[in-house]
Amino acid sequence: MIRNYIKIAFRNLWKDRTFTALNIIGLTTAFGIAFLLSMYALFELSYDRFHENIGSIYKVYTDEQTAKGTESSETNPIPFADALREEVPGVDKISRYVTGGTLLTYDGETFQVTSAGVDPEYFDIFSFPIVEGNKTNPISEKLSIVISRKVATAIFGKEMPIGKTVMVQSEGENVPVGISAVFENIPAASSMDVDVIVNIKNLPDSFYKNNLNNWSAHNHAVYMKLANGISPAQFEKSTKDFSALHYAENIANAKRDGAQADAKGNFRQIKLLPVEDQSFVVIKDGLLSVNKTLQYIVLGIAFLILFIASVNFINMSLAKSAQRLREIGMRKTLGAGKSQLFIQFWGESVIVFIVAVVLGGFLAFTLLKPFQTLFNTSASFSSISNPLIVFGAILCVLLITLIAGGYPAFMMSRMDTLQALKAKLKVNGNNRLRNVLMVVQFSIAIILISGTIVLWQQLDYLRNKDLGFNKEQVISFPINTKQDPNNVLQLLRNEFSTDPNILSVSAADNNFGLGRDGSRMRSVLGFDYKNRQVSTHLISVDYDYAETLDIELLEGRSFNRKYASDSLSVMINEAMVKELGEENPLNANLFLGDSIKYSVIGIVKNFNFESLSRGVQPLTLFMDGESPMGYVYVKVVPNNLADTYAGVRKVWNKIEPDTEFLGSFLDENIDRTLKRERHMTTMISSGSILAIILSCIGLFAISLLVVSQRRKEIGIRKVVGASVSTITVLLTKDFLKLVGIAFLIATPIAWYATSKWLENYVYRIDLNLWIFLAAGVMALIIAVLTISFRTIQAALKNPVESLKTE
Amino acid sequence: MLLELKNIFKWVTQGGKRIYLLSDLNFKVEEGEFISIMGPSGSGKSTLLNVIGMLDGFQEGEYNFLEQPVHTMKDKERSKLYKEYIGFVFQAYHLIDELTVYENIETPLLYKNIKSSERKALVADMLDRFNIVGKKDLFPNQLSGGQQQLVGIARALITKPKLILADEPTGNLNSKQSEEIMQLFKELNQEGVTIIQATHSESNAAYGSRILHLLDGRRDNT
Repeated sequence: MIRNYIKIAFRNLWKDRTFTALNIIGLTTAFGIAFLLSMYALFELSYDRFHENIGSIYKVYTDEQTAKGTESSETNPIPFADALREEVPGVDKISRYVTGGTLLTYDGETFQVTSAGVDPEYFDIFSFPIVEGNKTNPISEKLSIVISRKVATAIFGKEMPIGKTVMVQSEGENVPVGISAVFENIPAASSMDVDVIVNIKNLPDSFYKNNLNNWSAHNHAVYMKLANGISPAQFEKSTKDFSALHYAENIANAKRDGAQADAKGNFRQIKLLPVEDQSFVVIKDGLLSVNKTLQYIVLGIAFLILFIASVNFINMSLAKSAQRLREIGMRKTLGAGKSQLFIQFWGESVIVFIVAVVLGGFLAFTLLKPFQTLFNTSASFSSISNPLIVFGAILCVLLITLIAGGYPAFMMSRMDTLQALKAKLKVNGNNRLRNVLMVVQFSIAIILISGTIVLWQQLDYLRNKDLGFNKEQVISFPINTKQDPNNVLQLLRNEFSTDPNILSVSAADNNFGLGRDGSRMRSVLGFDYKNRQVSTHLISVDYDYAETLDIELLEGRSFNRKYASDSLSVMINEAMVKELGEENPLNANLFLGDSIKYSVIGIVKNFNFESLSRGVQPLTLFMDGESPMGYVYVKVVPNNLADTYAGVRKVWNKIEPDTEFLGSFLDENIDRTLKRERHMTTMISSGSILAIILSCIGLFAISLLVVSQRRKEIGIRKVVGASVSTITVLLTKDFLKLVGIAFLIATPIAWYATSKWLENYVYRIDLNLWIFLAAGVMALIIAVLTISFRTIQAALKNPVESLKTE
Repeated sequence: MLLELKNIFKWVTQGGKRIYLLSDLNFKVEEGEFISIMGPSGSGKSTLLNVIGMLDGFQEGEYNFLEQPVHTMKDKERSKLYKEYIGFVFQAYHLIDELTVYENIETPLLYKNIKSSERKALVADMLDRFNIVGKKDLFPNQLSGGQQQLVGIARALITKPKLILADEPTGNLNSKQSEEIMQLFKELNQEGVTIIQATHSESNAAYGSRILHLLDGRRDNT
């Protein structure tokens, strides 16, 4: 019986090779791409879920009420963690956490590594298993560090790392430290990824010891494991007195400046963020929230693509069933039951699906490498292969097969015997379903196309936006050195001064965009100005900063070597002028930090010193000559950028041969910050291209069937005098109506979705109807081309041929 | 008695008016009979055969098959009954194009869940009997009309039915082929199979033991 079914199934599939091929191609592509996309999304969603304690570990953050509204802060003062454990019930384990970069030297070789300063309980909270060395308390001793297996191999090769001594650069000096343990390499799906772990107590005094009792210097994150039986909400509630006690001054200031208490009457609320959510944190209007939209959009696209391909399958099978009516009738007469017919037809679908799933798997496998590169992800089959996901995937595939393959089979098996035998079929019902499905299909395609257009325009807008500084001609690079950075800077200045290709050199403690070192920082200071709390971003700069970056000076002057007092001068931006509320800002004096008076000497035009997802914040530029400069900015002549870049690298390598040159043009840095947008654009545009191709495959197949069903009609019409064009129009217009309806449905949805997305951006394009019209027209043109391929052919046919067969 | 129709009415409603396809039809068939139903086109021959074959229902009347009331049966029981006792032969043969001669003949056995070895024996017998062993691996479109109808009959006989319903079995065949088919029916009848055929042709009808004339869905006794 089964053998018989399979045999017939293969014969039928072979007989309709065109449809079988179209179906298999469509489904294979859909499954392949859906596998990749869902792998990506699931991988991203699995971030930080590998910790054994997941569900009870949290990052501690604080919502503060300020005059400008609620602001979230993820950093805490040094005494915070211990006090929290002592004073608030429910803390099982707690650890401070701060990351940085450092240089390790061993045997004359220097390695740049990322490091984390933590408390001993860190290893109890998180699952970073120690594989060698001191397993119980690896960071107990001063001057001992724990390194990852990867770094151990890089530094020591096959040698035993435990007990070895390496030199660590700390505050400009090299300190010998011992390796006490090696931890297993951190999984790819971890938002904490460091090479070296040290005890936070061993960090420089300026960071740790000097702040032991300082509740106002917020400089690290805190993670904790909640004790059993206490809910995060309970815990948050019981921190009320803690906040009131330790932040009395902050709260008083906030009240003075006119901050409003939150719904529960608090000015500070300590909150717990589940660790598994921390890679999805976005700060919007100062407030922390968890946003997994991108991942769900990607997952959604995967399903939409599968949906479109399944719709194709259903439509083709239903349309084809008309050709098999006689067989169905005959089988029923010969005694076939409904269930037997269902199994037979469903079996055919299952074969197609199995082939498609297997080929799709291969497709995904072959495309995995380029996919990983394109989206810069380490998502792979193994990274998501836990039993639950595998089971879920199998269930999904089965479900799709059951519905997409089963529906036509169900319809066919239900047919009336006599009608089927006479090959009479009430087609209206089927056509309505087919039309609805095609409208949905094209709606999806149009939504994705308009999404693509909007994303491209927005990305293009962000890339080409005038940011208020020269991003094309300026190279920035980090001063990674064991020498005194300011000394290195001076050497660089001397070298560059003789190079005609270099127009100007400056430096600052911060980079623009995201450099090749991948590090970003921000420094914000709140202080009292005229009895009011104001806050400003701070950047320490060197001479010629505004000139090198072509930042426009609106009033006053910039830092100048002629004025010795400039170490106590600052320049501020327009936003800062507004923050101060000063009519005549050049007369203003700011008391920053330890009541040192700084005078404002210049006002610069607003420029985007931070990520484009934020507007321009108040900014103060310093030049105290003491803060270490982290990045050098070099403005070069506009022609021959590549050669000049090579020249700059050569100079760096001459002065600092030990560390790699990580320079890049600022526009590259800006581009790097748009990674998210770029990935999303690539993903949605590839999704929409695929959606259109699949929809067209479906449309093409349906047009083939409609033409073959209406062959006689076409013949008769031609005999009575219809022209080729009228017949083509006749055959095409029904489909175009569907695309038209799809356009009407899709446009509002696309409009809503894209405008919601654009709301995330301070700088955004305006939506206009043209974008959506373009998407609609594009879908229409593609649809017309697809259909006319077959309809014109049919219309051109000699009517004698088509009438002869009857 | 094999089957009995009592006061059968069957109609369709068109434009608010009933159009009778069968009207007040009474009809008895004994086992071993060979009945020809005659009448012009549209007189209800095929409808009657479909009703007897339980492929089609009716609005009023009683239908007893082997003393069992068909009109009160559920779909499932009815299909079990005809699967067991009735074989169909069609004017257009209605062979399944995708199946070979062998597989076409085998299909009814599959739906009766008969074991593979038994199936093989039965089909082989049938092929033998109809002298089409050499054609068993051909597809229907590779056969002549007469050969296709032969396969159609073989398929109808494979389940050893008590009753064969043949709707214009020779309508698509030339005279020589028709004669062969009718001869075959006669032989089958002599072996004990009850046959009811619908036909236009007087000569074909003459093979039967009894002729039933139909006109506009009624018995035509003139």
